[in-house]
Amino acid sequence: MKRLPLDGIRIADLTMMWAGPYATRVLAEMGAEVIKIESPRAWDNIRTLIPQPGVADPWNSSYYFNDYNRDKKSLTLDLADPRGKGAFLRLVPHCDVVLENYRAEVLDNLGLGHDVLREAREDIILVSMAGYGKTGAERGHVGFGPIIEQMSGLASMTGYGDEGMPVKTGISYGDPVAGKAAVAAVVLALIHRRKTGEGAFIDLAQREVLSTLIGEAFVASSLRGEEPVHRGNRDGRYFAQGVYRCAGEEQWVAISVRDAGDWERLCAVTGIVEHLGAMSNDARHAEIDRRIAGWCAWREPQEVFETVSRAGVPAGRVLDTKTIHEDRHLEERRYWVELPHPRMHAWKQPRSAWQFIEARPRLQRHAPLFGEHNLEILGGLLGMSAEEIAELEAAGVIGDAPANPGVG
Amino acid sequence: MDDGVLAGVRVLEIGGGVPAAFATRWMAGFGADVVRTESTPGKLTDDEAVYLQTGKRRIKTDAATVQRLALAADIVVEDRKPGTMARAGLDPERLRSEKPALTVVSITPYGQTGPYADFEATNITSFAMGGIMSLTGMHQREPLVTGGSQALYLGGLNAFGAAVAAYLGSLIQGEGDWIDISLQECMAGMLELYGPRGAYEGVASVRSGNHVRAAWGLYPCADGFAGVCALERQIPALFSVLGDPDLDDERFRNPLERPNHDDELQAKLYGWFGERRKAEILELGARYKVPFGAVQAPGDLLANETLRERGLFDEVATGNGTARIPGRPFLGLAWRAGQLSEPGADTVAVIDEWLGEGR
Repeated sequence: MKRLPLDGIRIADLTMMWAGPYATRVLAEMGAEVIKIESPRAWDNIRTLIPQPGVADPWNSSYYFNDYNRDKKSLTLDLADPRGKGAFLRLVPHCDVVLENYRAEVLDNLGLGHDVLREAREDIILVSMAGYGKTGAERGHVGFGPIIEQMSGLASMTGYGDEGMPVKTGISYGDPVAGKAAVAAVVLALIHRRKTGEGAFIDLAQREVLSTLIGEAFVASSLRGEEPVHRGNRDGRYFAQGVYRCAGEEQWVAISVRDAGDWERLCAVTGIVEHLGAMSNDARHAEIDRRIAGWCAWREPQEVFETVSRAGVPAGRVLDTKTIHEDRHLEERRYWVELPHPRMHAWKQPRSAWQFIEARPRLQRHAPLFGEHNLEILGGLLGMSAEEIAELEAAGVIGDAPANPGVG
Repeated sequence: MDDGVLAGVRVLEIGGGVPAAFATRWMAGFGADVVRTESTPGKLTDDEAVYLQTGKRRIKTDAATVQRLALAADIVVEDRKPGTMARAGLDPERLRSEKPALTVVSITPYGQTGPYADFEATNITSFAMGGIMSLTGMHQREPLVTGGSQALYLGGLNAFGAAVAAYLGSLIQGEGDWIDISLQECMAGMLELYGPRGAYEGVASVRSGNHVRAAWGLYPCADGFAGVCALERQIPALFSVLGDPDLDDERFRNPLERPNHDDELQAKLYGWFGERRKAEILELGARYKVPFGAVQAPGDLLANETLRERGLFDEVATGNGTARIPGRPFLGLAWRAGQLSEPGADTVAVIDEWLGEGR
């Protein structure tokens, strides 16, 4: 069978929350061995953000944590303790990549900056993904996805048009975007190492990555001084566009009428009256919205979406977080996969969006339990004796449960 | 390695909408020789064209020549409808069998297979089908599309990562791959906690506008809009910055009690933000380690000192003056800014270099 591109690559993963863990999960999907490292005292808070009721170890029973940490191994190490730091520096020579998303100064404060890692392994690849990067006047700012969205320019572009009020994206949008860019950074650095024998230090600012997804807005601003105007769901390049309420609770379909041809096709398939008298563009758009809304209002969203799409007019059902798991197209493409988990009943998890048709990445295993692979990594990979490992455990440097489970 | 990590890598871009053009833009920046075949006019706006065509060579040629160029390439990136490549003599499976080291990346709204594969789509319809839209916007109003063309850009971002991963695989194993990127799938797997919650609990999450909760939201401030996203461990620092003695109370201190008094806390935050300017809010955030942000417009960022110091923006000469565009996505690997080429300007040179004798 064909190998995945990162087969044989080992990654020390110091990341927490969403952006970093999302990156390393994708790296795992591409074949890398990912060792997730958390301190028994400072662990990934996502573990307990939505714990299941009635379980003894909530940090091991979160579907949220699971979906972004599956296919990884878990090693606990308190990096603030000299013994934990020592163990980490023994691990680094076995790793190709170290990934971290601490605030800019934290890794250096731990005494684990790029220079130190390079002493442990000369061709190490370090990818740092702080919100604002490792340098510059704003490096000390603290930021999560929604903050990144504000600081990148994207939030200024989203809104209904009411008094210029920006609207945040409903997810911490900066996180997965930075995560996917970090995956690319790791891969490029591996290509660089293959060509030159050298490692790399990647300084990725999450805010800057997000700005690259609105490049045309910087063209408009720098060439003509134009700043974003909120048009709600409309798009100036099309004849008409909107989101229309359908039958049922909170069911909507987005439709783009790109040009007069789309309007003609839409009217033919729906029976909507096509003729539009002479009127201003705004009035015409409002009239089109009114007619489409009237047709949609009593129809099922799936019927609206498929009828309009079959007529060759772009439509998209506003799939919510329930209906998206029931979508027949994703079902047929086997996008949702159920993996057993030792603490939870099965649920649908997304497979890799990177469908390598030949190498076929596939989900392997649930997210690791807290410290599940301590023995395997410390004893097996690093060759520590049972006494050494017991000492680390007694000192709280490693553990199979958080030392402070209430935090998070 | 000043030429870039992808120096010597040949990339053919076919289709040329935002997804393919963005994926190959980063390839060009990191040193690849990206050749863009001219696409249907109007696929990119003028501003998108400035951003996404910079650093690439542009050709106009016949189908037979495009077929030969595809086999001379290391990576082909395309965003045409499923089946279009095959009808143009560019069937990815055939290209792959003729040149096993080749990587082909196909980006479409719904992927190459499945009942919706042939449906038309735009940015907003893809954004809707990916699930993010159901979570975006005010609860009492219709769902809202995020600004720009995020569904299309996400396709390009994913295609870039997948393409370079497959290229690395081809360096190691001698074999590339054909990668089927669906915009819907790129988004359906990035629904934060809401996606897995819907799958596990079987209920849809509702959009929460600008306030997931009081300490996780966006507020009007004295000179625009600013926001806060505080985790539990950052609540004490937030409260101390707010400096309101009322907050030193069980109903706000206790994380289990606080949600019952969210409106009250939100009112206090409206008041606090409303009296302050963005610069002051950001400065307090950095000083007291509170996750504050401020809504920056592109013009603000073009004037931003940090971004100037870190060299985010490239300059590109256009017929309408010099544009400044986001360049390298991260620091640490060589990046070249590139220039804008005229349509078809590089046809002769590319055919000579890629298909010339002795190659």
